[in-house]
Amino acid sequence: MSKEVLERLKTKFGDRVDVVERSARRAYVTVANEDWIPVTRYMHEEEKGRLCTATGSDRPTGVELLYHFGIDRDGTIVNIRTILAKPFPRIESLAKYYPAADFIEREIFDFLGVEFDGHPDPRKLLSSHDRPADFHPMRRDE
Amino acid sequence: MSTTIPIGPFHPVLEEPEYITLEVDGERVLSADIDLGRNHRGMELLAQEKTYDQDTFLVERICGICSASHSWAASRAVEDVVGCEVPARARYLRTIVHELERLHSHMLWVGLGGHIIGYWTVFMWGWKYREPILDALEMITGNRQHYAWYRPGGVRRDVPDEIWPKVLKILDEFDEKVDLLTGAVLDDPVILGRLKGVGILTKEDAIAYGALGPTARGSGVDIDLRRDEPYGAYAEVDWNVITQDGCDCLAVAVIRLLEMKESVKIVKQCIEKLPGGPIDAGIREVPRGEGIGHIEAPRGETFHFIRSNGTNMPERHKMRAPTYNNIPTFRPRVKGETITDALLCFAIIDPCYSCTERMTVLDPSGRITYGPGELLRLSHEKTEEIRRNS
Repeated sequence: MSKEVLERLKTKFGDRVDVVERSARRAYVTVANEDWIPVTRYMHEEEKGRLCTATGSDRPTGVELLYHFGIDRDGTIVNIRTILAKPFPRIESLAKYYPAADFIEREIFDFLGVEFDGHPDPRKLLSSHDRPADFHPMRRDE
Repeated sequence: MSTTIPIGPFHPVLEEPEYITLEVDGERVLSADIDLGRNHRGMELLAQEKTYDQDTFLVERICGICSASHSWAASRAVEDVVGCEVPARARYLRTIVHELERLHSHMLWVGLGGHIIGYWTVFMWGWKYREPILDALEMITGNRQHYAWYRPGGVRRDVPDEIWPKVLKILDEFDEKVDLLTGAVLDDPVILGRLKGVGILTKEDAIAYGALGPTARGSGVDIDLRRDEPYGAYAEVDWNVITQDGCDCLAVAVIRLLEMKESVKIVKQCIEKLPGGPIDAGIREVPRGEGIGHIEAPRGETFHFIRSNGTNMPERHKMRAPTYNNIPTFRPRVKGETITDALLCFAIIDPCYSCTERMTVLDPSGRITYGPGELLRLSHEKTEEIRRNS
């Protein structure tokens, strides 16, 4: 397991990261919105994590972002999670530092209405161009 | 003055229609823009209304070529939530079907690559040699495609032992054909002339764009989930990860050819070592939790994430096919290349191919200057020119 990765993450960010090891190969790390970019950039730039993809989901507590970083050298995945407040979820974009996040952030913007500040190309990705701009099909708003 | 070239987006046979806009100055490509979503089917939402067993049938339909990959990845995600061990026989049977799928997918690509550069013999051979692999898959699973083979916890059906000699015979014949094809392709100065040095994707770009599978390994990025996070029977058989440092279209083509040899080795060893016993872990209940299943599909990592709320249906099911990550690598790859080679640069990531034939070149007033047929003709003419001069 990427025990060393998690230890280094805890040493660097202290109690700003909440680490849960679900199994030998899967860990979930929750961070506050303001630590989002420092932690995700650290995962890619320092730990050489590969952004497999990201999952956005509408949950009772807000819109959840879960970025899955594959650590290929030890075959594990470290997932970084943050919850964004509704009704207007907003966060800084990782895509401007790491192009692999480009498409998936556009998709999350498209389906869940998350605004990614500083995204190099903030357009919808998958839904049709004539869809109303304020309708996001994976939101569960009343 | 630059010209805009739209590629795509629709064709009835496409699984993943893309709309690509190239900005060109004369023959040289300046930049590329990619627009997806022409065939978005809302499967992530649909999966939330299906049971875990039904989901495997649904996700198979994401892609007709790598249908085993998606259902295996989804099954692994459920197994990750449950935390169960898959019986050894099921792991071997899963690996056999998956590697046969890699064989037919790579062979399909070799054939289409031949078609694009105007090598009809390679096209005919590739597709001819692919057929027996589909027959083997039909013998094992009952279907040439959409095998309905994987389920959370194991596989759906067992296989009688008497079919294995027939499968081994098919593999022996296929192995000879791969040698023949590899030799013919790699010794051909014209094919080398068309592929070598064309469509450079540097290692740095491959990492930055999150490239996967042969696309990444062709740029020297040594990743392969079958080795990095061993699943199925991969840790119990002898095989090698193929990487190349060429960073060009030739490197990716070579990887696909050589990987077929490795896949044949894997399937043969799996058949030889196939253990007895149960084929299903018998999952009865999926607890609350989150699980990730990812596997090395022919084009790269297929990724599935499942969040369970304790019912028999997922609360969230995220799916990501490798082409999603590989498509953006087209941008750095095509920059500075000619329009003639743009077709090849796009095809090398092995997207659904037919869309490359839908390429159209417009001048600034919107008049069509090159239709789909002309672009393919340009590509064929370049091959002819190299052939004449060699």
